[in-house]
Amino acid sequence: MGQIILGVGDYGASNRPGEEVKTFALGSCVSVVLLDPKTRTVGMVHVALPESAINKAKSVEKPGYFADTGIPALLAAMAKFGCNPKGKGMVVKLCGGANVMDTNDTFQIGKRNALSIKKVLWKYGMGAVAEDLGGNFSRTVSVSVDTGEIILNSPGRPNWKL
Amino acid sequence: MTEKIDRAVIQKVIKSVPMLSASANQLLQTTTDPDHDLREIVHIVKTDATLTARVLKVVNSAAFGLINEITSLDRAISYLGERLIVGIAIGDCASQLFDKELKGYEGEHGDLWRHDLRTAIASREVVAQSDLDISPDLAFTAGLLHDIGKALISDYLQGTAGEVLEKIENDEISDYLSAEEELIGFDHPRAGYELALTWKLPEAIAEVIRFHHTPAEAREEFQELVYAVHLGDNIAMMGGCGTGADSMRYKLDADYSRYITLQPNALASIMLTVNEEFVKLERSFAEAGDSNR
Ligand SMILES: [Fe+2]
Ligand SMILES: [Fe+2]
Repeated sequence: MGQIILGVGDYGASNRPGEEVKTFALGSCVSVVLLDPKTRTVGMVHVALPESAINKAKSVEKPGYFADTGIPALLAAMAKFGCNPKGKGMVVKLCGGANVMDTNDTFQIGKRNALSIKKVLWKYGMGAVAEDLGGNFSRTVSVSVDTGEIILNSPGRPNWKL
Repeated sequence: MTEKIDRAVIQKVIKSVPMLSASANQLLQTTTDPDHDLREIVHIVKTDATLTARVLKVVNSAAFGLINEITSLDRAISYLGERLIVGIAIGDCASQLFDKELKGYEGEHGDLWRHDLRTAIASREVVAQSDLDISPDLAFTAGLLHDIGKALISDYLQGTAGEVLEKIENDEISDYLSAEEELIGFDHPRAGYELALTWKLPEAIAEVIRFHHTPAEAREEFQELVYAVHLGDNIAMMGGCGTGADSMRYKLDADYSRYITLQPNALASIMLTVNEEFVKLERSFAEAGDSNR
């Protein structure tokens, strides 16, 4: 079975039957999964940080790094598969955004990532139908083109679905 | 039921792994001294043919993208910087520990090395971007060694991860550190500290190994460094680079703010730099090495 593996700040999409899009070990990072039922396309972006303002040059080189540039980049990539460029009709799922234990405000990058992503989605009139966010553990996430189902795993736990 | 272990057991495990090489040891001692210079480093590396070869291999690996091959050791060392030289030396002679598959944490082969390398980079970055009066290179080395104790106790923790996670979720145990102590009577910082004593590591590094999860307990004179690595460790785990089931299951001590001022944006930039550096270093080490790190 074909796999598209995404690193930190990468995004990618596929409509090939049998394929899956996967990213490893999200700590405070968040994976935004977009499913387009009309074209049967799945897309994912591995967002590491909430705002591109901290490094504009990086956001040009690797837009997927940041929530505010990553989602537009993913939508543009999915538009090449015939999806609506504004995300109309797409289903959204979110995973990741974990925090360390007893975190203070500064270290809540996971939470800020999730908030920032939701704000951007809201501008497009999109909202998540399912989410698996927060907690104190890292997640590996893969989504199947055939079913749009997400499989999550984390060391020491049985796999689960979203 | 897991069995409890004690100092004698840890000592036996330590005896079963190779000692640090003389050159690695000298490098650690020299670089911990604030008044050393690069010539001393060059001198130590020159006495060790294997290390010399490795240093040249790393600097000429594709990850650094140099157009002209570097053949002089002096140039290689000043290009890589002393922290990478120490990193190469330690990585090589403690590879049996770094490359251990941490079954007790359900970690994968190479996880410990990657986590330690990422913590080293992050600890250095924390020091470099704040006005701490400590050496960023020392923070790197200490970060590299901070979790070495996991390789010593991992086997004794086999089959416990699921149960530990359940207990943490149900608030029966506060974090993974307490879980280690409760299950086998020995946690990884203490195990690592035993190794630090046997290997006669510099005091500052031994202190980091022992207190990286409980920095407030470190001796006053080493606290800045211990807090810097404490943050580096957390940044590595947040970056998705842990050692298995225990990742992100330790407590952040927010009292780091006594020494380190960190705005959210500064933390975000540190995380960005750490990721870039990590990708590059991991590649250069992998290309230059024969292990499957
Ligand atoms: Fe640790
Ligand atoms: Fe650690």
